[in-house]
Amino acid sequence: MAEKKDMVGYRQQPGKLPFTRPGSGGKNSFSEPRDESMIPASQGGEKNQPWGSHRHDELLSGRVIGKPTSLIDSKWKVTGQAHYGDDIRLPGELIGKIVRSPHHYAKVLSIDATKALELPGVIAISTGADASQKFGVLPVTKDEHAMAVETVRHVGDIVACVAAENEMTALEAVRLIDVEYEVLESIHDMKDGLKDSEKPIHDRGEYHIGEANIQKRVFQEFGDVNGIQDNAIASHKSNWYFGGVNHAATEPHAAVAHWDPSGRLTLYTPQQVPHYVHRALADVLEIPMHQINVHRTFVGGGFGGKSDPFPHEMCAAILARKSGRPVRITFDREEVYWLNRGRHPSHIEMNLHADSKGRLCGIETDALIDGGAFASFGHVTTYYNGVLHTAPYEIGAFHYTGARVWTNKPASGAMRGHGAVNSRCAVEVGIDDLSEQLSVDPITFRLANLLPPHSATITGFRVTSIGMRECLERVKEESGWDEKFRKMPLGRGIGIGCGFFISGSGLPIHWDPNKFPHATVHLKIDMDGGVTVHTGAADIGQGSDTVIAQSVAEVLGLPLDMIRVRSRDTDTSPVDLGSYSSRVTFMNANAAISAAMKIRQELIEATVKITEAPAKKLVIGDRRIFRKDDPAVGVSYLEALHKAQEERGALIASGAYRTPPMGRAHKGAAAGLAPAYSFSAYVAEVEVDPETGQTKVHKVWAAHDCGKALNPLAVKGQIIGSCHMGMGQVLSEEMRYGRDGHLMNPDLLDYKIPSIHEMPNVIPIIVESNDPEGPFGAKEAGEGPLLPILPAVCNAVYDAIGIRTHNLPITPDKMFKAIEKKCKLLGIDDPLNLPSPIIEHSELQSTLKARAKTHTQRDIDRRLNDDIEAYHNGALFGMDPTIPPDEVDEKWTVSVLPSKEYLSNPRLAGKAWLHTERRRRGD
Amino acid sequence: MTVVRLPMLPGAEKTPWAASVNGKDHSIPIESNAILLDVLRDQVGNLGVKRGCDLGTCGCCAVLIDGQPRLSCLTLAREVEKSEITTVEGLSDGHHLHPIQETFAEYGGSQCGFCTPGFLVVISALLEENPQPSDAEIKTAIEGNLCRCTGYQQIVDSVRAASEILVAGKVIQNSTDQKSDPHPGFGE
Ligand code: FES
Ligand code: FES
Repeated sequence: MAEKKDMVGYRQQPGKLPFTRPGSGGKNSFSEPRDESMIPASQGGEKNQPWGSHRHDELLSGRVIGKPTSLIDSKWKVTGQAHYGDDIRLPGELIGKIVRSPHHYAKVLSIDATKALELPGVIAISTGADASQKFGVLPVTKDEHAMAVETVRHVGDIVACVAAENEMTALEAVRLIDVEYEVLESIHDMKDGLKDSEKPIHDRGEYHIGEANIQKRVFQEFGDVNGIQDNAIASHKSNWYFGGVNHAATEPHAAVAHWDPSGRLTLYTPQQVPHYVHRALADVLEIPMHQINVHRTFVGGGFGGKSDPFPHEMCAAILARKSGRPVRITFDREEVYWLNRGRHPSHIEMNLHADSKGRLCGIETDALIDGGAFASFGHVTTYYNGVLHTAPYEIGAFHYTGARVWTNKPASGAMRGHGAVNSRCAVEVGIDDLSEQLSVDPITFRLANLLPPHSATITGFRVTSIGMRECLERVKEESGWDEKFRKMPLGRGIGIGCGFFISGSGLPIHWDPNKFPHATVHLKIDMDGGVTVHTGAADIGQGSDTVIAQSVAEVLGLPLDMIRVRSRDTDTSPVDLGSYSSRVTFMNANAAISAAMKIRQELIEATVKITEAPAKKLVIGDRRIFRKDDPAVGVSYLEALHKAQEERGALIASGAYRTPPMGRAHKGAAAGLAPAYSFSAYVAEVEVDPETGQTKVHKVWAAHDCGKALNPLAVKGQIIGSCHMGMGQVLSEEMRYGRDGHLMNPDLLDYKIPSIHEMPNVIPIIVESNDPEGPFGAKEAGEGPLLPILPAVCNAVYDAIGIRTHNLPITPDKMFKAIEKKCKLLGIDDPLNLPSPIIEHSELQSTLKARAKTHTQRDIDRRLNDDIEAYHNGALFGMDPTIPPDEVDEKWTVSVLPSKEYLSNPRLAGKAWLHTERRRRGD
Repeated sequence: MTVVRLPMLPGAEKTPWAASVNGKDHSIPIESNAILLDVLRDQVGNLGVKRGCDLGTCGCCAVLIDGQPRLSCLTLAREVEKSEITTVEGLSDGHHLHPIQETFAEYGGSQCGFCTPGFLVVISALLEENPQPSDAEIKTAIEGNLCRCTGYQQIVDSVRAASEILVAGKVIQNSTDQKSDPHPGFGE
């Protein structure tokens, strides 16, 4: 043993060293010079800025923003160390299994669990009686229970749940639970949902619409809708049916619940939106929110399918509370389909009109969507089916009627491209048809009808940056459009489609945006110099942790490996709305930047103290803060940091983002509002076999305006991945229901997602329109890129074989029938003799070309000029662009309620307005 | 205590099962009808092997049996007794990642990562047999694996890059070996 010395007073430890020396921190001890090619021209760097400068330019240190960056958690994933829902194994865990309804619609008369409870190894059983509180993702439509209370609403609806020592025992217990049902008459056809019914699937009390199964209805008219026909010289009318599709994320849902000895609950779950689960758990379990920690595990794909608070998460928590042990519930693939929340099966009537000048003088949309048994995000979906196609084109007048009905199917909800995908497809195919009728090129038609940057749509959305024109021009050029369109042989075709999507939703669901921010990020830097980032943004594989780390690294001039992101626990993360509506990069990176700016400021102040150089002259490079005019004068990051930490210890900073006030005042004006919008244009080249009806997509040129690609590797991945998912919907995916309403394909064999053999070669093209409010100019890239692939393929199919399909997916059998029909119509025996569509441009083509050219200049002026006049939709039709049109023109009206005249002959979804809400019926 | 046999459990008694998993010999009591996927995940502890469907449709559960890719959800553990099983955890030697693991991270082959273990083992088998596969060969090799995130393209990119590394014999930096300094010059 070492000799014990006298200890007198404060003693220096022998061998104590000063802090690690300057220049260190990160792997390389030498500071790299600033990468001038990544520093924008506005800051004296070499990076050109064709879209003007940005408010974040001065924060760029040339480190990682804009460079292809592998995901910071990728090493976990490739070594099998990433733990997803079912990989959370706690000592003493029980296995939870769920009793599901075999009926579409039934009253639960009794549940007898006696036999099951007698089975050795069964520890707890729970039924709806244990949790009477309702929950739901939207506060206005809470209509779900942890387990059925009185009624089951679809096959697979949860009736009870069991926790047992092992899976086999749990399954056996499920079998032994006797449930007595009284079967009710179920409805499956969404059109029936519009009719009055004896026992509607839900009862909304005084807000119930008629006695029907209408969950939500929307009516919107902007402009002189009655005058559309007077101006139109070409009209497109189509009736679409879109099959319902599922997210089919590879990871089935799972949840592990554990009550710790101090009585707090931790729920481990692969969730996109931990915060909503947090709230819903508190409601259902009737405990305060601070007694719950929601831990987001790695998420094996979300796409909207893991963004509701789910009944099985409640079940796990309830069983764990009852049994006093951790409970793990994991779905099998079939159960994923019972949970669903996929894209709504939809009937969409799309009428488009063009006038003699080749302008879109009217869009009239009617969308009836099948919500299945619960509301989920449906309130919003109903709006999105209309309002999200009011751009990128300037429109004369806009009519939208939408209705979402309950049916006895697994609930539809939010899925990548939420609410915008189907109606966008119908619009873009309609434009293709209008161009055909007018004998003009569809790309030219689009280029001559675009809204300019910094404008307002017909519904009053504030659009800032727009890269639509560049997207169209790039795909046109790179695909060799002019040589191919309408010129390829029978069976080969090319088509165009565009997209427009929100980059974050303008209104948080749960609070007033004027009171609380949308996103908050905390930073903590201690003596080691590493930066801990706390954010509630859920990384679901899209790379949100990476992009937030990149933003912090960039602003502080640090290598990425000095940033560690802690985004898993609601205990430590600031509240975040989660990963949906493509908000994460926009909002969280903005919040991260604002937090990092505070730290940066402190570092610069510390440097001023050390070097006595004026703050204005200092710049940040790789782990070094130095004089711009004399780089030799400066200090290392650690020196500055330790100076800043004197007296106070670790630096901490909080940054937040909230959206600016936006939008108009009509009912529903908030739906679709976003601080920025993304744009995209795809060209698809396809082959259709006239003899078999088989469609194959060969190549896709995919241009997406994401504002600025913070991580080009991830942006490209999102574009290609979106193509995959959209391709599935257009060619093969559909949740098919049999005649008696049963789901026929709840598995990945019959529910066909594209394999590598079906994937076309996708050429991702990134357009950077430099959004003024986006972080470093960025907008979303996760959902918008899905939109254009559907119409691009549909239009290419027409180009290939002259057949317009209005029924998705375009499976070979449907196509084969359509070909047969067409042959019969034309009196052709051999489908190989079918005529291939051709085009001869009319005079209008040159008018449109000229207009597109003037508009190009107009757009460049508007995007580079800070001092621009307002531009409201309508200028193209001769209105004063600086004043909202309803203030100028009497006939230009905004209405959100149907007129008597309309109700005398409503369209399909419009029929929802024939009912009166109970509270207005007087009795 | 009375022992109640569950009607659903045909073979409740367990007998030992021996196999080598990632180079380590295991002898575990298992039921005669135990599925390899369950044995690997629940008993051996290889949680890197993923369950996506249980029906042989997704490929997430792929492992190598004596070097050959196999869907562990469709394999009885008994069938592969005494064989050498490799899971994603066995692809790296603890110091070096397999080239395909490196390139998956670098080229975006993995987004959410849930399909990744399945792809990695299948591709490692392909590269073992054929270090320079053509695009068609790559496609055929991974046709049984579904990925919902990447659209496969960046996966194929990763395979090509890994093939280049293998052919050029480029050595992947070993970040945990004592001799190589992961933080060169630290504290100088
Ligand atoms: S889990 Fe084995 S193939 Fe899907
Ligand atoms: S990376 Fe998510 S399924 Fe392949």
